[in-house]
Amino acid sequence: MLLKRILQFFLLYALFIGCLLLLKYSLQLSDYVIPGPVGMLQTLTTKYRSYGLATLNTMSIAVIGQVVSVILAFTLGIIGRQSTWLGSFIKVAAYNIQAYPIVALAPILFILLGDGFLTRLLIAAMICYFPLLLSVLGIMSKPVTDIEHFYRATGRMRWQLEVKIRTFENLNQLTTVIAGSATLAMAGTIVGEFIAANAGIGYTIRIALYQSDLAKILIALFFIGITIAIYQAMLELLGIAIRRAWTGK
Amino acid sequence: MTMILRFLSRSVLVCTLLLFLHSTYCSANDNITYRLKWLRNVSVVGALYAEHNQLFSKAGLNVTVKPGGPERDAIRELELGRADFGVASADQVLRARAKGAPIVVIAQLFQINPLQWIYRPEKLQLGSLADLKEKVIGVTFGGNDESIMRTLLAEGNLDSSQVRLFSVRYDYTPFYRKRVQLWPVYRNAQGPIITAQLAQEGEKTAYFNPADFGVKFVANSVVTHVRTLKEKPELVQRFLGVLLSGWQQALDPENEKAVLSLLQHYEPNIPQTIQQEQLRITRTLIQPDPTVAIGRIDHAGWDQTQEIMVSQKLLPHTFALQEILKPQKSL
Repeated sequence: MLLKRILQFFLLYALFIGCLLLLKYSLQLSDYVIPGPVGMLQTLTTKYRSYGLATLNTMSIAVIGQVVSVILAFTLGIIGRQSTWLGSFIKVAAYNIQAYPIVALAPILFILLGDGFLTRLLIAAMICYFPLLLSVLGIMSKPVTDIEHFYRATGRMRWQLEVKIRTFENLNQLTTVIAGSATLAMAGTIVGEFIAANAGIGYTIRIALYQSDLAKILIALFFIGITIAIYQAMLELLGIAIRRAWTGK
Repeated sequence: MTMILRFLSRSVLVCTLLLFLHSTYCSANDNITYRLKWLRNVSVVGALYAEHNQLFSKAGLNVTVKPGGPERDAIRELELGRADFGVASADQVLRARAKGAPIVVIAQLFQINPLQWIYRPEKLQLGSLADLKEKVIGVTFGGNDESIMRTLLAEGNLDSSQVRLFSVRYDYTPFYRKRVQLWPVYRNAQGPIITAQLAQEGEKTAYFNPADFGVKFVANSVVTHVRTLKEKPELVQRFLGVLLSGWQQALDPENEKAVLSLLQHYEPNIPQTIQQEQLRITRTLIQPDPTVAIGRIDHAGWDQTQEIMVSQKLLPHTFALQEILKPQKSL
């Protein structure tokens, strides 16, 4: 799984760079518009250490942000699954928060929390939690009638049991959504760093943009891509392990 | 007779077709896109004036003035053929040339760099560069203000550990809350706005101008593709002539009322008194010396800009600037 994901990423990245180089040489563009392979290699050799560390920094925030999102999404999803006033209120609040563009909220967060760890974490969690919440709400709101009927009829149904049944029956879907949300957590962290931070690969990209240095941006994208590929593969492996432990399959 | 008539009619048809093709070719030639570096504000008032008063069309040029922004790069657009002329800062031009971008500078708009640092003179005395020691100074990491500030620190025999460089963005709160003592602003655009806001709170402001300490870093210039200058020198002359005439007229105090109404059109939220101040300061930055023509290329300034960038490893080596700087006859 891990090797497959890495190979797939390398293939995609090579295709992307290949297309750019094709464009560069067919339109005879300078290295300022699209850097040549030598320039990219030079940037990689001089920047691999700092960019690698910056990506790891971003990744650590993204992982924490994703964990926060998963907890938040499950908490809200479980409360919001009921057709009560509170359930409906949570749904409306969740939709509203998602509707606000993060670039408009970021300066407010920046003023309130500064430009450090918390701002990045919050932006990552805000971008990541919504698709998770939608999935959790969808799963938790849908009764598994065949199984639940027995417990309801026998008067043994409690909310914890209801959640367990629905989670178990939709485990495949949930693990896929959680693995997929890793990309969003990473994207959210990068957006946060781009707007309001002094560290991480998003901040590095911002500096490269100021310097109009596309080679640096392409190398940063390489690091982001490879890190996400590895992280996602690890989450998928974790999902398989959890499914095995729960279902024995 | 029939043969002659047929020959004549065919000749007329061919001539008409040639004339049509010629006129189409000419008008296609005169369709020009001019990409600004920033949004439509006082820093580009010359182009706005020329556009609004149809100076370009009166000169037979069909110019589309396109606003710039952080995500726009005029040099890339020139190379991709999406623009014919553009505005770029000196560091952008030098970086692009270092990477083989075929662009040349045909005029320099700002004679004094508008990028300066605002501070509160009641809390801070800046008589020499040594006074920067232990101050919290805002810089845009990766931006040309960082290069300028690092040069100033080097000139003042200070290293970056002796000051605190604070990463700035578009939000001025850290300066308003006095967390940062010096904040980079465009003297003519944001400067008067912040000054007015702080004046309302009873606070005075002053500006730290690197040029006062001998550091000249060239700001915005008009650039074009090498091919355009080579193949259409007359077009370059015409365009630049009209553009600089636009600047001349926009900065003429006699046209102030019209210019202010133009600025109000693009930035209706800024009070006219502030725009008047913006315009006054812009005059001093574009043409500090009335005997020097608007658009003059300051070779010494470019030399220093290049030296700064090489010393900070932002450029691999120096270039022969005469290959890049191509002042036009009218200048």
